[in-house]
Amino acid sequence: MLKNYFKIACRNLWRNKAFSAINIFGLAIGMATCMVIMLFIADELSYDRYNKKADRMVRLTFKAVLNGNLLSFPTSAAPAAQTLLADYSEVQEATRLRQMGGVIFSYENRTFKEEAIAYVDANFFQVFTIPIIQGNAKTALTEPNTVVISKEAAHRFFGKENPIGKVLQNKSENTSYKVTALIDEVPSNSHFHYDIFVSMASYAPAKEPTWLSNNFVTYLVLPPGYNYKELEAKLPDVVEKYMGPEIKKSMGLSLAEHRKQGNEVGLYLQPLKDIHLHSDYTNDLQANGDIRYVYIFGAIAIFMLLIAGINFMNLSTAGASKRAREVGIRKVLGSVKRDLVQQFLLESVLLTVLALLLAISLVYLVLPVFNELAGKALTLQLANNIWLVPGLLMFGLVVGILAGCYPAFYLSSFRPVAVLKGTITKGKESLNLRSGLVVFQFFISIALIVSVTVVYQQLTYIQNKKVGYDKEQVLVVHDSYLLGSQEEVLRQKLLADPRVLNASISSYLPAGPTNSNNSVVLADNDASKSVNTNQFRVDYNYLPTLGIQLVTGRNFSKDFASDSLGLIINEAAVRAFGWNNNILGREVSCFINNKGDKAVYKVIGVVKDFHFKSLHQRIGPLLLMLGDNGGSIVVKAKTKDIAGLLTALKGEWTSFSKDTPLVYTFLDERFMQTYQKEKKIGYILSIFAGLTIFVACLGLFGLATFTAEQRTKEIGIRKVLGASLPNLVSLLSRDFLKLVLLANIIAWPLAWYAMNKWLQDFEYRTSISWWVFILAGALAILIALVTVSYQAIKAAVANPVKTLRNE
Amino acid sequence: MIKIENLEKVYRTEEVETKALNKVSLEVNEGEFVAIMGPSGCGKSTLLNILGLLDEPDGGSFKFLGTEIAKFNERNRADLRKRNIGFVFQSFNLIDELTVFENVELPLIYLGVGASERKEKVEKVLEKMQIMHRRNHFPQQLSGGQQQRVAVARAVINNPKLILADEPTGNLDSANGNEVMELLTELNEAGTTVIMVTHSEHDARYAHRVIRLLDGEVVMENVREQFTV
Ligand SMILES: Nc1ncnc2c1ncn2[C@@H]1O[C@H](COP(=O)(O)OP(=O)(O)OP(=O)(O)O)[C@@H](O)[C@H]1O
Ligand SMILES: [Mg+2]
Repeated sequence: MLKNYFKIACRNLWRNKAFSAINIFGLAIGMATCMVIMLFIADELSYDRYNKKADRMVRLTFKAVLNGNLLSFPTSAAPAAQTLLADYSEVQEATRLRQMGGVIFSYENRTFKEEAIAYVDANFFQVFTIPIIQGNAKTALTEPNTVVISKEAAHRFFGKENPIGKVLQNKSENTSYKVTALIDEVPSNSHFHYDIFVSMASYAPAKEPTWLSNNFVTYLVLPPGYNYKELEAKLPDVVEKYMGPEIKKSMGLSLAEHRKQGNEVGLYLQPLKDIHLHSDYTNDLQANGDIRYVYIFGAIAIFMLLIAGINFMNLSTAGASKRAREVGIRKVLGSVKRDLVQQFLLESVLLTVLALLLAISLVYLVLPVFNELAGKALTLQLANNIWLVPGLLMFGLVVGILAGCYPAFYLSSFRPVAVLKGTITKGKESLNLRSGLVVFQFFISIALIVSVTVVYQQLTYIQNKKVGYDKEQVLVVHDSYLLGSQEEVLRQKLLADPRVLNASISSYLPAGPTNSNNSVVLADNDASKSVNTNQFRVDYNYLPTLGIQLVTGRNFSKDFASDSLGLIINEAAVRAFGWNNNILGREVSCFINNKGDKAVYKVIGVVKDFHFKSLHQRIGPLLLMLGDNGGSIVVKAKTKDIAGLLTALKGEWTSFSKDTPLVYTFLDERFMQTYQKEKKIGYILSIFAGLTIFVACLGLFGLATFTAEQRTKEIGIRKVLGASLPNLVSLLSRDFLKLVLLANIIAWPLAWYAMNKWLQDFEYRTSISWWVFILAGALAILIALVTVSYQAIKAAVANPVKTLRNE
Repeated sequence: MIKIENLEKVYRTEEVETKALNKVSLEVNEGEFVAIMGPSGCGKSTLLNILGLLDEPDGGSFKFLGTEIAKFNERNRADLRKRNIGFVFQSFNLIDELTVFENVELPLIYLGVGASERKEKVEKVLEKMQIMHRRNHFPQQLSGGQQQRVAVARAVINNPKLILADEPTGNLDSANGNEVMELLTELNEAGTTVIMVTHSEHDARYAHRVIRLLDGEVVMENVREQFTV
C-alpha cells in the first residue's frame, strides 16, 4: 500500500514539475538560511565555553564616573589578582593577561612582525583550557623571558625544527625569549586570540603595586556553584582599602569626598561566558559579538523558516485544490478519507525531505562565503554531531506533516458532489489566509530593505563625514621607531620628496588601532576640576600634516623652549574644564607617574574638535603635548602618484633597515576599518534581505500561478468580451499589489523604530530620510509586479478559445 | 456582411493533423439569421470561432464588413471584435465572481464607456431581458435559463452588428430554450445578424437559412420555405 502511495506521490511531483521545483527550492532556501543562522548562533553562544572552568570563571572589570563621564574598562590594576586571591578564600585561582602591541621578532636572520602577543601569568594554562601539545603547562611560564607559542607561529619562525628551547629575539625591546612549550591554537570561539604568550615574570609593571592604573585583564576562578554576585558585593571594600589611599594621595581628596562630588569608582565581576555577547567596554581584547545581533538573526531564521514553511503549505494547498476534481472522483469511486489524507501527507513529506537534502547541499555551498563575510569558521559536520542528522530528519518530518495537514484535511473533507459541481474551488477563508501570508512576507522583506538601506546610509555618512583632519592621501609608516635616531633622518628625506606635503612622527593616530593614553588631569590645578582626558604625544608637524585646525593660539614651535610643557587642547577640553575666556596660558596638571607626581602644562593653543575616536563616541577632551615618542611616521602626500611615492619609500626604508620589513597603511583605510562590524552587518543583512525577498517571491509566484489557473475561465470570457492585455494583467496583479501596499504600511513604522534604535549606537549619525521608505516600498512593489505579471501575461495571452473549450 | 472563401483550419497535435475546416465558402448578409448544423466534431465551433475573430484561419479569404481580415493580427481582430460582435455560449460563460449587473456591464467597460452611461444601458437591457430584479445576484444563484438571458443581455449590450451563438440552448430545457430562441429572433428582427450553431432541428427552424457541415465541408445550404415564398 505504502509503495503504491509512494509511486503516485512521485508521479504527481513529476507531473507538476515546475510547481514541485518551486516548492522544493523555496523550502530548501528557507531551511538552508535557517541552518546557517543556527550554526552562527550556536557558535556565538559557545564562546569561551571550551574552558573546563567556564562556569565559575569571572573577569574583574573597572568602572568609574568622573565628572559625569562613565569610564569602563575590562581591565584592572596589577596587584588586584594576588590581593583578591589572598584576601578572599572564595577566589580559588587568579590569573592575569596583559596585551602587548605589535612586536618585531627575529630568529637567526629572519624578522617577523607579530601582532597577537600577550604577557600571561604562570598559571594561565591551568586556568584556561588551552591544551599544551609540547612542554609542561605548569612550569612553562614560571621563569622570566620564557614564551609559549602556537603551532602555527612555531612553523613560521622555525619551520620544521623542534621549537622547544629555541630563542626568539624581541627587537622592539632588545630582549629575548626561550620557547618552553607549544600550544595547538586558541579555539576560534575564544574572547582572545594570541599566538605568543610571554611569561608575566618578564614584565616589570606586573609587579608594581599601584591601583590606579588599569592595564591587566584579571580572571578569577570561583568555587563550583558559587554565585559571583556574593564576591562582587565585597569588592567595594577592596576599592576602599586599596584604591582609596591612592586617590587621596594623587587628587588630594578622600574617596568619600571624591564621591560627594558625584564621582564613582568601582570594581565589578563579569562571568566569563558573558564576555563575548554582553560586553560594552572601551578597548576590549578583540571585537566582541553582540547579543542583539544574535536576537535579530535568530528572528530572521525563524521568519525565514516560517515564510518558507507557509509558502510550502500554501503552494501545496493551491496545487491540491487543482486536484479537487480528482478527489471528488476518487471519493465517488469509494476511496475513504484516511487514504486521501495519507496520500497527501506522504507527498508533502516527500517534498520536505527532498528540500532538506537540497538545503544541506546549499549550506555546504554557501558556508565558505558566509564565513568569509562573518569572519567565522563555521562547518556543518553531519558526522560529528549525533543529534544533527536525526534532528534534521525530525525537522523535515514536522514541517512536512504540518504543511501537508492543511491541504490533506481541507481537500479530503470535500463533499464529492460539491466538488464535481465545481462549487468549491475557491474557499474564501483560505484566500484570506493566503493574503495574510503575502502581507507578512512582504512586511519582512520591506523592513529588511529599509534596514539595509539605513545601514548603508550610515556607512556612507561615516565615509563622507568631515572628521576634522585629513585622512585622504595620508600614509602611515609603521615601526619607524626601530630605526632609532635614523627615524628623524628618514622623515627629513621624505619631506624633501616633492610628492610629500608634510610628515610627522607620532604613534598616536586619529584612526584605526593606535597608541592611546587616557588619564585624569586637574584644570587650574583644582582637585574639583578633575577631568578624564585622552592624551596624544605628537611632534611639531602633527597639526599641519593632518590638517588639524587651530581655533586660537599657535602650534608647537622650536622657537619656544617652554613648549616642552606647552599644551594644545581641543574645544571639548575647553568645555570640560569649564573655561570661557582667557584660555591661552591657563594651566593643567597632569600625572606623570603612578605615584601621584604631577607636572603643570600651559595651554598654548586650542584646536577645533576632530574625531580622534570612532563616530560611536562623542568627541571627548583631548590634550596634545610634545613627546619624543617615536612610533610611526605619518606622511601627507600631495600627489596622486602614491605608487611612485611608495616605491621611493621602500627604497629609503631598505637603505636604513635591511632586516625589518616595511609596514605601511593608509589613514582613510584605517578609518573605515573601525566600522568593519557595521559593514559586515550591512552585508549580512543584505544577503538575508535578498533571500527573504527571493523566498517571498517564490511564494507570490506560486500564488499567482494558482490564481491565474483558477481564473483561466474568467480571463477567457473577459478576453472574448474585449479585454486588452493591460486590462487583464492589471486585473490579475491588482489584488497582490494591494497586499504589498498594506505590507508597506505595516513595515514602515516598525523599520523606522528599529533602525532609529540601531543608529542610537552612533553619537554621530545620519537621519533616516523619507525616501528610504518610498524606495523600499517601490522596490517591493516592482519585484511583486514582475513576479506576478509573468503569470498574468501568460494567462492573458492564452487563446480564449482553448480555455473556454476546456469547460 | 461576411464573405468567406476556401477557408481552411488545421489542428496539429503531436502526431495527428485534423483538418477541422476544408475549403469552406459561404456568405452571410446583413440582417440574416443563419443556423449551422452538423454532427459532433464536424467543425461547427471552429467555424464560429473564426467568424467571431477569436481564432485565425490557416488559409482562404475572410471578408468582414468588406474588409479582408484573414491576416489581421490579434490586436486588430480584438478591436474589431469588441465593437461588432456579441457571443452567446452553450455553457453561458458568466463570471462567477461578478453579479448579473457587473457581468453585463463588462463589454462597455472594455469599450471605455462612462459609468453613468453604462448604468443606463445595462438597466435598459436587463429590463428588456426581464431579469432586472436579479441584477445583484451572482450567476450561481440563477437558473440555467436566467443565466443564458444574462449572457444574451451581455452579448447585445454594445449593440453588435453580429451575434454568434454556439449551441445557446444546449444546456436548457425546452421551455427555457424556446425563450432564448425568441430573444434571438427579436434581436434579429431589430436588425442584428445572428449566426447560431445548433444540434436541434427545432431551433434551426427559427433561422432563415441552415448550413450543414460534414467533416469540415459545407454539404448543403437550404433556405426556409416561408422565406422564399
Ligand atoms: N484545439 C484543438 N486541437 C486539436 N484538435 C481540435 C482542436 N479543436 C478542435 N479540434 C478538432 O477539430 C474538429 C472540429 O472540432 P469542433 O470543435 O469545431 O467540432 P464541433 O462541430 O463544434 O463539434 P461539437 O458539436 O461536438 O461541438 C474535431 O475533430 C476536433 O477534434
Ligand atoms: Mg462545438
